Amino acid sequence: MALPSTALPGQLLGHTDKYLPGPGTHIHESQIYASIAGPVFSSPSSQSSSKGTSKSKLAPLISITRPPTSTDPGILGTNSGGGGTILPTVSSTVLARITRLGPRFASCEILVINNEVCREAFQGQIRREDIRATEKDKIRIEESFRVGDLVRGTVISLGDSGNYYVATDSNELGVVMARSGEGRLMFPVSWREFRDPVSGVAEPRKAAKPF
Amino acid sequence: MNTDRRRNNAPNGGTSAPVFARTIRDSEYLEKLRPSRSRGPNELRRIFLQTSIIPSASGSAYLEIPSSSSATSSTLIPPTSCLKITASIQGPKPLPRSAPFSPSLLLTTTVKFAPFATRSRRGYIRDSAERDLGVHLETALRGVIIGERWPKSGVEVVVTILEGDEDGWWGDSASEGSAAGSGWGLLNVLAGCITVASAAITDAGIDCVDMVCGGVAAITRNPESRHEKELVRILDPCPAEHKEVVAACVVGYLASRDEITEIWMKGDVGADPDALIEGATHAAMGSLAVVKEVLLEALEAKFHGQTEGNDAGLKRKAHDVEMTGGA
Repeated sequence: MALPSTALPGQLLGHTDKYLPGPGTHIHESQIYASIAGPVFSSPSSQSSSKGTSKSKLAPLISITRPPTSTDPGILGTNSGGGGTILPTVSSTVLARITRLGPRFASCEILVINNEVCREAFQGQIRREDIRATEKDKIRIEESFRVGDLVRGTVISLGDSGNYYVATDSNELGVVMARSGEGRLMFPVSWREFRDPVSGVAEPRKAAKPF
Repeated sequence: MNTDRRRNNAPNGGTSAPVFARTIRDSEYLEKLRPSRSRGPNELRRIFLQTSIIPSASGSAYLEIPSSSSATSSTLIPPTSCLKITASIQGPKPLPRSAPFSPSLLLTTTVKFAPFATRSRRGYIRDSAERDLGVHLETALRGVIIGERWPKSGVEVVVTILEGDEDGWWGDSASEGSAAGSGWGLLNVLAGCITVASAAITDAGIDCVDMVCGGVAAITRNPESRHEKELVRILDPCPAEHKEVVAACVVGYLASRDEITEIWMKGDVGADPDALIEGATHAAMGSLAVVKEVLLEALEAKFHGQTEGNDAGLKRKAHDVEMTGGA
């Protein structure tokens, strides 16, 4: 059976023997059906079976792509429409703004998930032990983040009812934009320091390694 | 309505042109204005549907079923009402702080008649009929949404009825009041709500098992028959066009799975309720044809705009989908 070019929810796409279900599809009575409206793509699975002798080739993956979302955050700023309907999942890379510092964790709001602007900010939490991977017992929150910093992190858990848990425990993760006490944008000088370009005053941060 | 002290309420009463004394006193003249069904028993009214009409919502749709009877020139009052419904989807968005953890999508439906939606004015606060419609709509939609794909989030389906189907012909309610309050129009409204909400949900990109569509079938007394007892089964009834509706049924129907998520039956069904339900599913399949056509068209425009890059506005080709009945 040939795949349709576009599918609507509930449309039959193929049997599970022939295809693997990807994003935007679901299985009902061992048949793959579309669950969102969009163009259908089938990509041959890149993971060829490790055993070279066996002929078991993995079936191609059927997926339905979501329509692209405009990058502008809507006419009234964030939270006013625009942006994509996307949820943070475990191991997705996010950009978050620090909103509050506590003794055991920093609160943040997740603004961007995997380079896609969210429609609405998600509440997140960076626990003290998740800030960096080494010397976890010596981490101090106030030497890692300040309120208003923009942080790149990765989601490690969907968390409880309120918060997603975000971690910054790798070199590429941490503060990407920070302002000094005088309100000027600072630049990173080491993995633990940002510096003000005018006054030259250094402030401690858990800096992200620039690409 | 007496409890609503927060707004400037308009005076109670009608929202359409006044009924002149002559029409009520002269019953012969009044009967001349009575609309009658000009379609076949299995023919639906024409449906207009458009998606993505509200830019700030993640998904939205507008449904209109125009009045089938042509307006007479002798009176200002339209013979039958139209059905005009908008639906907007807010979300999926994170749950409020106070809400407990939920592993799947929380669905909230709100159905509201606009104050001017019916011949007698509606209040601004939702009344029991509107809340009832909301619950019916929620059961219809809950069966199609795959909630597990959206943990920790909620979605709001807000349906506003701009013009609702009425329960009977206005001339009857002015003289006898037999049809008033019988609620036949509500069934049509619910079917429209299900169809438009389903289109809006698909527009929002929320995972669904199938597209649910609403359809109505009814049993009416045949006006032309000599026997008073003879009944006819019709699809998509317009209550104003029938002197007496005996029974009616609305379903939320999943065509590709052949499942029903919502059913509401009313009146004296008789010995064979299954025929009525089946008629309603046929009517639902008729509206599904429109929904599919519209969504495919919108999809084409959406993804075409992506490749062109400059086509921000959603351009729809303006051609109608001809309705040819489901049965």
